[in-house]
Amino acid sequence: MRMLTILCIDDEALGLQVRRAVLERAGFQVLTATNGKTGISLFKENRIDAVLLDYLMPEMDGGEVAITIRNLKPEVPILLHSACVDLPHQVLNLVNATLAKGDGAETLIHRLHQVIEETKPQSENSR
Amino acid sequence: MNLQEFRRILKQAVLIPLLALVVLAGVLLWQVETAQRAQRWLDHSDQVSSELNELERLIFEQANAVRGYELTGNQAMLAPYKASAGPIHTYFTRLRQLVADNPQQIGNLVQVQDRYRLWLGYAQDILARPRVLIDYNHNSNQRSQVLGNESLDESLITAVRDSTRKMGLAENHLRSERLEESIVLERRELVVIIFGTLVVGLLLGFFSLNRLRMVSKAYRSALTESQRRADELYESREWLQTTLRSIGDAVIVCAANSTVQFMNPIAEELTGWSIDAAQTQTLERVFQIVNEQTRKEVESPVEKVRRLNKVIGLANHTMLLARNGMEYAIDDSAAPIHDKHGNLIGIVLVFRDVTEKKRTEAALVASEKLAIAGRLAASIAHEIHNPLDAVANLHYLMAGEPDAAKREEYLALAQQELSRTVQISRTMLSLYREPNAPVSIDLGDLLQGVLLLLHRRLQSQNITIIHEFENNCMVEGFPAELRQVFTNLIVNAVDATGPNGRIRLGMKSVPAEEFSGAGILTEIADSGTGISEQVLQKLFQPFFTTKGDQGTGLGLWVSMGIVQKHGGAIRIQNSTDPEFKGANVRVYLPARTLATSSSRSTPHFS
Repeated sequence: MRMLTILCIDDEALGLQVRRAVLERAGFQVLTATNGKTGISLFKENRIDAVLLDYLMPEMDGGEVAITIRNLKPEVPILLHSACVDLPHQVLNLVNATLAKGDGAETLIHRLHQVIEETKPQSENSR
Repeated sequence: MNLQEFRRILKQAVLIPLLALVVLAGVLLWQVETAQRAQRWLDHSDQVSSELNELERLIFEQANAVRGYELTGNQAMLAPYKASAGPIHTYFTRLRQLVADNPQQIGNLVQVQDRYRLWLGYAQDILARPRVLIDYNHNSNQRSQVLGNESLDESLITAVRDSTRKMGLAENHLRSERLEESIVLERRELVVIIFGTLVVGLLLGFFSLNRLRMVSKAYRSALTESQRRADELYESREWLQTTLRSIGDAVIVCAANSTVQFMNPIAEELTGWSIDAAQTQTLERVFQIVNEQTRKEVESPVEKVRRLNKVIGLANHTMLLARNGMEYAIDDSAAPIHDKHGNLIGIVLVFRDVTEKKRTEAALVASEKLAIAGRLAASIAHEIHNPLDAVANLHYLMAGEPDAAKREEYLALAQQELSRTVQISRTMLSLYREPNAPVSIDLGDLLQGVLLLLHRRLQSQNITIIHEFENNCMVEGFPAELRQVFTNLIVNAVDATGPNGRIRLGMKSVPAEEFSGAGILTEIADSGTGISEQVLQKLFQPFFTTKGDQGTGLGLWVSMGIVQKHGGAIRIQNSTDPEFKGANVRVYLPARTLATSSSRSTPHFS
């Protein structure tokens, strides 16, 4: 089985770095971007199995990034990973799942596997 | 009719009847005089007749005496003859005088006198004859002579008698004519009296009636006029009273000596005094006002108006103590009432119950505080969760990390993130821990704290902040409230300037000026599009927002209140700086403040 590739987009550099280490230890291949723009170009260039997306970011927020990704490849699951409590409904409807920051590494890994599993049959059928 | 006309009529009413009566009296006198004259003529005729009779009687007596003597020759018989001579002469003289005005009677009298003289001549003849002859010659011749003498005597006397009779008849005729005239005159007199009195009476009656009518008409019109004026006065008074009574604010009018003269129903309700009870009282008793906090009596508005002689407003935080024990926060103004010479004759006091308004304002301030707290809480949660997430992940990494050096590295990173969390939570705590008295604040530090809280937001919009802070900008105040002010102003600037915008924050101390003490001036300029003139005018009104549903419209209103409470001011205008073309907000805060924790923090605009 090939390694699953996760794209992490977060403006918080330190957090991103730590998260990458955690995910790599969990056996994922990790691509990181500190803003939406870089994230989208990475998404276009690479085969991505899931996107871990922060919401509150300068210039382009998580919502906008999610819309662009959905338009490019609707089958790729998006896990919205934010500390925000009052996320807009449009964004919540767009993404596959949300995860609050600070819930711990195990939860993060578990939820990532979960969304990938949930979307797998669909993505294979559509391919 | 004016007073002069009225006096003229009064004069006429006295003089004209007087004149008429004088004329009437004159006419009557003339009539009486005429009648009297006629009466006198009548008496005159009677006198003439009686004297004529007397004369006749005397003449006959003489004649008898002469005849007696002639027959008897007795000298004694002549006594009446002699005695009558003098009176007869007198009578003639008198009669002559009496009938001097009547030529006919003069003629008659002359005839009588002539005939008498004729007889007298004959009588003297007889008396002159010797007595003896007569006494002793008794012959027939003599006798016949005597007899012949006798017939002569008889005819002479008859002639005298005839003429006296004639004169008497003439006089009688005159008398009857005069009597008739007198009767006619008397009748005329009566008629003149009756008609004169009647005519004068009627004329006077008509005249008086006419004048009385004039006066009564004038009186009636004057009465109507004064009634009309009284009505008008009453109406205008009523109108004024109704207007005053209908005013939505409480109105008290008092005299210059503070005695209450008028209260409208709202004033009655608020003070708890009825107008009847209050009317004899002084304003200080009816309108008891104290300071909301100190409960000390506030200077009477009457005194203040008298002192300043102009319209005044009451100090803030004034409480009205009603008679029934109720207390109302009031807003009021008092104005002097001047007479036309400019003397103070009273004071009008207008006030309203602002208890509810104050409560509403307080609720608004609280709600804005909550909204800000909510926004800050969300932002803080985000700030805290980011480092917490990193810490949790680092723990996970450390747990499975065999390399000690790596573990050390993770530990250091976790430590760093934890202290960031602590810093954020401390800032948040200080926001809600508010001292009771103003404290010394370094405004630069305070602003840095605000920027730290807003860091995420600023970063997300890629906004550049340029600081130009002087060191040691100290003011006195309430940090949480000031933080609220600057959060508001910076968020406004962020919203105005938009993504990738720039904000310049300047802070410098300003020296004391004529009307303000030394303090700190903070300037916030953005690179937005600025504010339209229309919006500028409404900026500080509550519920005015340019942010649609996103804004409460209370931010600037509350900020203004807080800054005013600190004794400062906020000025907003469009910038002239080409680098920051948007709004330029300047906040002045005095170095020392008189604010207390319970001071009103809603703005007041004068």
